[in-house]
Amino acid sequence: MHKLVEFMPEEFRLLYRQFFLRIVDLEALSAHADVIGYLGQFAGVFIMLSLIHALAAYIYVSGGIQLSFAWHMEQYLIKTMMLVTGLFAVLTWDATFPDKRDIYVLSPLPVSSHTILSAKLAASGFVIILLIATLNIGSGLAWPLVLGLPLGGWSGVLRCMAAYWCTMVAASLFLFCSVLTVQGLIAISLPRRASLRVSAVLQLGAFVLFIVVFFLQPVVSTRSEFASPANYHLIDRSPTYWFFGLFNWLIGTLPEELNWMAERAIISLGLAVLGATSSLAWCYFRTMRKILEEPDIVSVRRVAQKGARLGNSLTFAVTTFSIRCLVRSRQHRVVLAFYAGIGFAIALFCVKATTAGGSFSLVTHSIDSGFLMATAVMMSFAVVGFRGCFALPISLTANWILRTTQIQPSESYIRATRRCLLLLAVGPVWIGSAAFSVQLRPYGPAALHLLVLALLGCILVDINLRNFYKVPFTCSYLPGKSNVQLGFWVFILLFVPLTIAAARYELRALSHPGRYVWMVSVLIVIDAALLISNRLRAKEAVLYYEENPAEVITTLHLISGPLRNGSSE
Amino acid sequence: MLELCHISKHFSGIAAVDDVSFVARPGEVTGYLGPNGSGKSTTIKMIIGLIEMTTGHILFDGKQIGDDLREYKRRTGYVPEEPYLYTHLSGLEYLTMVAQLRRLPVQESTTRIDALLQLFSLHGDRHASISGYSKGMRQKILLIAALIHNPDLLLLDEPFSGLDVGSALMLRSLIREMASRGKVVLFSSHELDTVERISTRVVILHRGRVVANDSIERLRSLMKAPNLEAIFAQLAVEQDNEAIARQVADIIHA
Repeated sequence: MHKLVEFMPEEFRLLYRQFFLRIVDLEALSAHADVIGYLGQFAGVFIMLSLIHALAAYIYVSGGIQLSFAWHMEQYLIKTMMLVTGLFAVLTWDATFPDKRDIYVLSPLPVSSHTILSAKLAASGFVIILLIATLNIGSGLAWPLVLGLPLGGWSGVLRCMAAYWCTMVAASLFLFCSVLTVQGLIAISLPRRASLRVSAVLQLGAFVLFIVVFFLQPVVSTRSEFASPANYHLIDRSPTYWFFGLFNWLIGTLPEELNWMAERAIISLGLAVLGATSSLAWCYFRTMRKILEEPDIVSVRRVAQKGARLGNSLTFAVTTFSIRCLVRSRQHRVVLAFYAGIGFAIALFCVKATTAGGSFSLVTHSIDSGFLMATAVMMSFAVVGFRGCFALPISLTANWILRTTQIQPSESYIRATRRCLLLLAVGPVWIGSAAFSVQLRPYGPAALHLLVLALLGCILVDINLRNFYKVPFTCSYLPGKSNVQLGFWVFILLFVPLTIAAARYELRALSHPGRYVWMVSVLIVIDAALLISNRLRAKEAVLYYEENPAEVITTLHLISGPLRNGSSE
Repeated sequence: MLELCHISKHFSGIAAVDDVSFVARPGEVTGYLGPNGSGKSTTIKMIIGLIEMTTGHILFDGKQIGDDLREYKRRTGYVPEEPYLYTHLSGLEYLTMVAQLRRLPVQESTTRIDALLQLFSLHGDRHASISGYSKGMRQKILLIAALIHNPDLLLLDEPFSGLDVGSALMLRSLIREMASRGKVVLFSSHELDTVERISTRVVILHRGRVVANDSIERLRSLMKAPNLEAIFAQLAVEQDNEAIARQVADIIHA
């Protein structure tokens, strides 16, 4: 793709590079940020997943498992590809559409609208190609080999491989274009300000939809299940099955009565592509002018707000500032939704996995390990998610106001940040769990669990805020510092089994008072130890607003040597 | 009284501010002048405590500012050179946050903010997001944020930037009024006419060093110059501006 771009006109190349780099927001970066390394870590996770999927193909061959397993895997691979593309579409929600900044910068220059549009599409397209390639690098070779050999030797393998990659590209393209179509329709049909608001809600809705569909959509793995009238509505409305049908139609294994699925996949892909191109074209040639013409300032009438005071003025300032950052910054909302969505999906999965027969129902009347795991998972993800958002700055250049108004000791700010995290992350999950517990009978164990959940929340907050001597949303961020690849596998191998074990232990403890008291005592001691340790450290702490020493920032990292160690001459 | 004693700031061996000393007294308006890159903003950032000085020390009312930086910040108001604000907040929300960070009583801060917004003609747009504000409106928000806690030391870095004529005239009067009420006012500006009208004394910086530090009248008589512009041109302007203008026109014409 990069090579191909070299043959394009110069203005296209310049814009393509800019838009490609902007997929990671440059404002969140600092002098040492290793963007390529950071994105490489995501690619590493996808490649590892692909190799695991390839391993499943080996199990399929060696175990002599039936066709239903192959169909199960085919649907799972398509579903995973669509989920990853969907998440990419959500994370880069505005990247393809005309942006106010682009219009103000590029409109006075002799650059045509179609050059901007094609450069943006090329940047997004390149990332999607990377996603498809990394997520299918192992499975895209192994599964066609396994499925293709019985269909006609090596020619069958080649046909199967072509079908596999075509299906993945088609499924990915369908989802991405569908998202663009919906966004475009909103941009065209609503006034600009209203469309931005609706678009923000839609972004989060799409995110939750993709996650929920991935985890809750059942697998239909036999011919009789596909033929069953009970499943017709499900198959009729779910694109995963259409593309499953397309794959099997391409390799010639789709029963004739299911050909409509393949046809629907092709038609829907065509419609999605048509919808995306026409709405994008409309937006670039019509709404660009609307953006230029919109007034800079619109008078807002608001009734005076007198909310409840949350702690002292510093806690109040930090908390309201944090809430406003989260509510008004799309980037932060998406990051938070990312954590919340994954937590929610795993919580649903826990509930589903522990329900007899794997059937899912949100209405349960007795406390079980699924409920305990789900609430613990939600609590963990909420705390980690908010902590992750706190670390992302909203405007680095504006943090001088906090530096020049620091008239209280650093420990007051650190305490305010802790209260803010308790209020924003622990509070809502706890209240949600309490509300959900109302239907549980007997209520006693549920109430006891809520106490454990509150303690767990406090412990997680104190662990997450260790060495976090920042005011939320005000300090620079180094993406390269967080090891996504390592974090992912630590989570899979450590956090999930630990949560399962803890939930089982708690379930037993809820019916043994002695064991419960012991468990709660241990949790209280852990939290108290963490709290005291953090408070002692906070007394000596100094708030910081830059991950790098000031000398590195002010010299734009042009000077190496002693300055890298933070010493100034 | 604000005293700068031999302060310097070196960025990897290069002196941005070199051995600067001067005094700004209560009741006086001290104008801080210099060409672009002469070290004015760096000095002000050191005075406010945003960056550390390499050598020297700063005294406020006889005490080193680092001895009790929090108390010093409590008494200081600062308007930065660039109007960097949290643009996702409304003007009212931003000012309320600043008041809360400064621990002003709720009732008092609400009354002050409301009155100041009225006086600076921002009351009608107080609920609008700062991202939609013009440069002048942002500058007014910065001014209110710097004044809201009644500071003893007022540091203004290019405070007239982006203000319309009426607001600029009001700010001139306000600076004089603040000084007459015993505040220490230090302000930097490129508007020499304004500086000449309202400053009691001026400090002129060139290449990081102080080249003049006196009252305007004394500087006029010492240098036999008719106005501050002529004094500034003699001390801090090395280039032949007319020749450069001709060269620029020649280049773009070629």
